[in-house]
Amino acid sequence: MIVCALFPRFQLGIAAGDRTELLKEPVALAPEPGGVQQVGEVSLAAEAFGVHPGMRLGEALARCPRLKLLPPDPAGVDEVWERLLVRLESIGAAVEPERPGLVCFDARGLLRLHGGIEGVLRVARRSLRVPTRFGVAPSRFTAVAAATQARVRRPTIVAGAREQASAFLATLPVALLRARPALSELPEALERLGVCTLGELASLPPEAMADRFGRLGMLAHQLASGADAQLRPRPASEYMRESLELPEAASGTQLEKGLGLLIDRLLARRERRGRTLRAVVLSAVLVEQGGTWREQVVFREALADPVRMRLVLAPRLALMPAPAELLRLAIERFGPPASDQRTLIESPADARSARLREAIRQARAAAGPEAALRVLEIDPASRFPERRAVLAPFER
Amino acid sequence: MSGPRRLSVPRHVVVRADDDGTPGLIDGREVDAVRESWLVEDRWWTERPLRRRYWEVVTTCGRNEVVFHDLERGGWCRQR
Repeated sequence: MIVCALFPRFQLGIAAGDRTELLKEPVALAPEPGGVQQVGEVSLAAEAFGVHPGMRLGEALARCPRLKLLPPDPAGVDEVWERLLVRLESIGAAVEPERPGLVCFDARGLLRLHGGIEGVLRVARRSLRVPTRFGVAPSRFTAVAAATQARVRRPTIVAGAREQASAFLATLPVALLRARPALSELPEALERLGVCTLGELASLPPEAMADRFGRLGMLAHQLASGADAQLRPRPASEYMRESLELPEAASGTQLEKGLGLLIDRLLARRERRGRTLRAVVLSAVLVEQGGTWREQVVFREALADPVRMRLVLAPRLALMPAPAELLRLAIERFGPPASDQRTLIESPADARSARLREAIRQARAAAGPEAALRVLEIDPASRFPERRAVLAPFER
Repeated sequence: MSGPRRLSVPRHVVVRADDDGTPGLIDGREVDAVRESWLVEDRWWTERPLRRRYWEVVTTCGRNEVVFHDLERGGWCRQR
């Protein structure tokens, strides 16, 4: 039983801040500097003009010439989102965040703890302390669809198995597939072909979908039929951050000095307990309401040396699009303890093996646990190709 | 990753075959030539025997395909 918590227009709301009256007008999140020229989340008024998240900026402006663009606030979104996820984790939920504003968790382990699904939703609502729409269903995609149909005080619960999920989805529009980033461009093509609801999509032969849209078509068909992949909850982690207010808009050398101070403060935190840092997030609030800037940095080697950290992080400051009034440094992932030292004399084979281990760790830190796999031969002489080899995690 | 993942897993494919079982159309692509065909039988002593007629063909668009007809359960699959 999957629960989806949806915070509608989460990123747009944070970017608007106190200017809530803006959300009544056609507004969209502007593309991030240097990113793809697509609009982010859009207001209801903008949706009425046919503008939707992920649309090309040129097309969005053509559809709605009055459209206002708000600079995104990735650092602010990151901070609030992390706080909400930690609140959900505090009730025992193993959460899988899909994107800021949309999170799912499996409620089966919590039902007896909180007294049924109603109890789980009540506790989740109380811990989140912000208006949230809840959807409950047998699969993740159906739960997301249910959450879009829910009201803040009235969750949508789809009981039963895959058949009931498929029946619930049947009348809903294919535009819901945009909730899955990989399928963001599919609804438009489907609508052009006259496939407007998920029920119509599910009734198509899977071979036809595979033939026309390939792997993505098969995935869309699977979702519309009420099935979905298992949840992959994130590991619970600590959140450590240091920030520095800059009295005058800072850039260049001044900013580098501020960065040095943040590194020293972060390394001095007692909660670090001597561990090295594998990945950090450098972020800043830009001057004159220019939004925020955020950069994730994965170190080539887990570090606890402030000088080497400064060498890696300082060049990133040059990527900032405007001077900053607040600079932040947060630890995203820890490495092994600092006492993990090298031996004085290394054999070439050991050195190569250690380099390989390090490369795998880096690749996994940047691209996830499936970044390094190896082909393991099981029965190489088998006459059936699928029995010859498997992909297994690379261990060395 | 939940566990080891098999490689070369058969994937369903739409094939239109002639009367003698030779594939003529694979996923809408016309077959130009048959390069080889072979029969594989195994596990006939179990309750889930495997009997497959493999075809290695070249389509008119130049693709080299290996497909098989599952003689036990019916249906066609592509395998690399």
